[in-house]
Amino acid sequence: MKRTIEAALLGSVILAGSACNEESPVAPDGDLFPVRAATVEVRLEWDEFASNLEVLGGFGSPSELGAAVLAKGFAGELDSRALARFGPFPAATSVRDTTGTIRSDSLLAFVSGRVVAVFDTVASTNEGPVTLALGALQAEWDATTATWTTAVDTIHDTRMWPEPGAGPVVALGTRTWDPAEGDSVVFDVDSATISLLADTTDESRGIRLDLLSDGVRLQISRVTLRIDTRASIRPDSLVVLSAPASELTFVYTPFPEPPPDGIRIEGATAWRTVLDVDPPRTLDGPAEVCRVLGCPLKLTPNTVGYAALVFRSRASDPAFQPTDSVGLDVRTVLSREALPKSPLGGSLLGAFGVTGLRVAPEAFGSDPGRAIEIPITPFIRSILQAEADSTELPPRTLALLSPFEPISIAFASFQGPGGPSAPVLRMILTSGPTVELP
Amino acid sequence: MKRSVPGFALVVALAVAPPVAGQSLFSAAGLGLPIASLDARSRALGNPGIGLSGSAILPEDPAASAGLFAPTATFTAQPSWVSFQGLGDDGAGTFQGTRFPTVGVAYPVGGWGMATATFGSVLDQRYGVEQAGTVELQDGTAEVTDRFLSDGGLSVVRLGVSRVLGGGVAVGLSLGRYTGKVVRRFERTFLTAVGSSTVQQFQAGGFWSYSGTNVIAGASWDISRIVRVAGSVSWSSSLHAKPSDDTKGEAASYDLPLRIRLGGSGLLAPGMSLTAGISLEDWSGTTGDLHSGGTSGFIKDIGIGLELGQASLAGRSMPIRLGYRRRDLPFVMNGATPREHVYSGGFGLAFREVEGVTMAGVDLSLERGKRYDDVLSETFWRGTITLTVAGF
Repeated sequence: MKRTIEAALLGSVILAGSACNEESPVAPDGDLFPVRAATVEVRLEWDEFASNLEVLGGFGSPSELGAAVLAKGFAGELDSRALARFGPFPAATSVRDTTGTIRSDSLLAFVSGRVVAVFDTVASTNEGPVTLALGALQAEWDATTATWTTAVDTIHDTRMWPEPGAGPVVALGTRTWDPAEGDSVVFDVDSATISLLADTTDESRGIRLDLLSDGVRLQISRVTLRIDTRASIRPDSLVVLSAPASELTFVYTPFPEPPPDGIRIEGATAWRTVLDVDPPRTLDGPAEVCRVLGCPLKLTPNTVGYAALVFRSRASDPAFQPTDSVGLDVRTVLSREALPKSPLGGSLLGAFGVTGLRVAPEAFGSDPGRAIEIPITPFIRSILQAEADSTELPPRTLALLSPFEPISIAFASFQGPGGPSAPVLRMILTSGPTVELP
Repeated sequence: MKRSVPGFALVVALAVAPPVAGQSLFSAAGLGLPIASLDARSRALGNPGIGLSGSAILPEDPAASAGLFAPTATFTAQPSWVSFQGLGDDGAGTFQGTRFPTVGVAYPVGGWGMATATFGSVLDQRYGVEQAGTVELQDGTAEVTDRFLSDGGLSVVRLGVSRVLGGGVAVGLSLGRYTGKVVRRFERTFLTAVGSSTVQQFQAGGFWSYSGTNVIAGASWDISRIVRVAGSVSWSSSLHAKPSDDTKGEAASYDLPLRIRLGGSGLLAPGMSLTAGISLEDWSGTTGDLHSGGTSGFIKDIGIGLELGQASLAGRSMPIRLGYRRRDLPFVMNGATPREHVYSGGFGLAFREVEGVTMAGVDLSLERGKRYDDVLSETFWRGTITLTVAGF
């Protein structure tokens, strides 16, 4: 019987505990809502939220691209040549001797070789064969500062090319590249040329690749020197060694001028566009906002659920139109006064990862006028929060840029302020009455 | 020139449980759902907590503890399972929750009488409401979920004394302080991404804490050990609700009504007693204090029950109880006075008895009831468990 009593007590505890997995008295009907909220989308014109737009160029160097561009009369204007310098050649190699033993041999004789250029077929505009020329550079040059006209442009040392366009060169041959047959072109070079390319004390050493066919733009992803080498251990055999390009850049003309009325990002060197963004603290219109949310509507971080800059794409200069998707990033400029060298804050597009917001290349070529929306909700809310807290306002200058600089010779263009397609600030606003007690 | 895209429409309803526990959707009406600080015996007998035979710690019947002669503690838990219907086309659902409506301690004061300390629920304000809808944006429709949550309630802490005067008369007095808090929060959550980004949630709400004073005076009279009659009067000051510093909502003050309880129990036959009780209160004075909704004005809480006290289990006392209770709810949500009908049953079990006095025991009740107004109706099962220990 004692067990019965214990069972009753246990049952009591179980009964009490059985409902401890709480659920809610939740009604699925709006009649029980003591307050309601309303949501309205509003688009502010340029003058209402932005000012001081400025396009800045010169960020990075073509040599940082990791690729080179070839062009001749592309879009009727663009000429571009690739320059490469090969790194220290292999000083030794392992060779199997006549007894079958593998030995290291440092007494190498460079017999002949081949310059191999591999193309990025997606970034290249040709669909048929093109002719290319290889030449050996004659003037000293600096890969990080070389331009169409300047061979060296470092501090206290500016030297021009004897001929614009990285000239002159000693011709080493021409070849035809047909993308239908492969993704690379090969130039044969003799031992004397290899010897010149191997002289690391010579600052003028290097090759220049020219495009002889008109109207196309090619992108070289890498250049390698393949060297036929005779080893002292086995003079009857040839060993092929590789010397990849240690420096790869390109020089081009004309250099694009900053747009007087637009927005530009990317390119090599890279372009950035900066603008001051300062949202209004209250809205007195338009009528729909006043009707739904009431006016004047005070903007608070809580009110602004979404904010984005909306740009209209426009066609870039034909010579610089992208052939691949364009990545966009937006960052806070921490000190506008220090531009163009101001440090930047973190990306506001964290959701898009390191690649940024991707836009199809057609938006800047054959299909301009696309609305490109760049969300900046945390940025707008941080300004409104500082206003609400009466603390110092955060930096209100934004930089539009590429996630990687430089990433391509091409650049993205957008309509600037002053026209019907000027950028707007899109906001999704939600507001409701103050929650009171019953 | 600003341009805007109008449009907001709520078109679909769907319920999902947010993390709030409670016992009724009628908590959404006025100041909430009244929660009587009753033990399982009162519940089983359908009694509003007045005039029951014997002695117990009943917060709203201060004289009931006068007959205790040893230190006594009691604790009550109350799970419930509720299903509702009547809200919208698909307005039906279920939920469950657990309350702890009362806990109390009584201690002898010299030989003068008993001192009591109790904590009990007064109003339950926990509920949630949720609705799915859409927002029309320029580039399409965004799905949203609106949610309102109210979490909190009103409780009272009381200190009291009770004393047997002789001639079967006992009196009691308690002084209480209202306490509690409520958080009321509205949220709109955007389920649809805009572009490749999410829309931040909109929130609005506030936090209020309650204060006020309550005094209860009560008396009982045992007439020739066959009949007991009892009554109590409960007076409350205005209930003040103070917002927190960061709450935009305003402070509020509510008149609370005078509450009169009358009840009694009588022996019908050896081991069989009949109990009845009524509670009367007029909430008309509170109507003007409410921002929304109204009150039912004068309301009644009536209960009747039968107790078979000679039942036993394994030689231990195990009284069996049946009851019925009907009460009006004070706050109007949908035009008509909400009402509650409850059929109840239960039993007690003494674990340890000394000379017929229970020193450790449990009382259980199970109620089947219905709350309703012109729109909403709830049916519920409600269990109540009271553990009592004495002589510690």
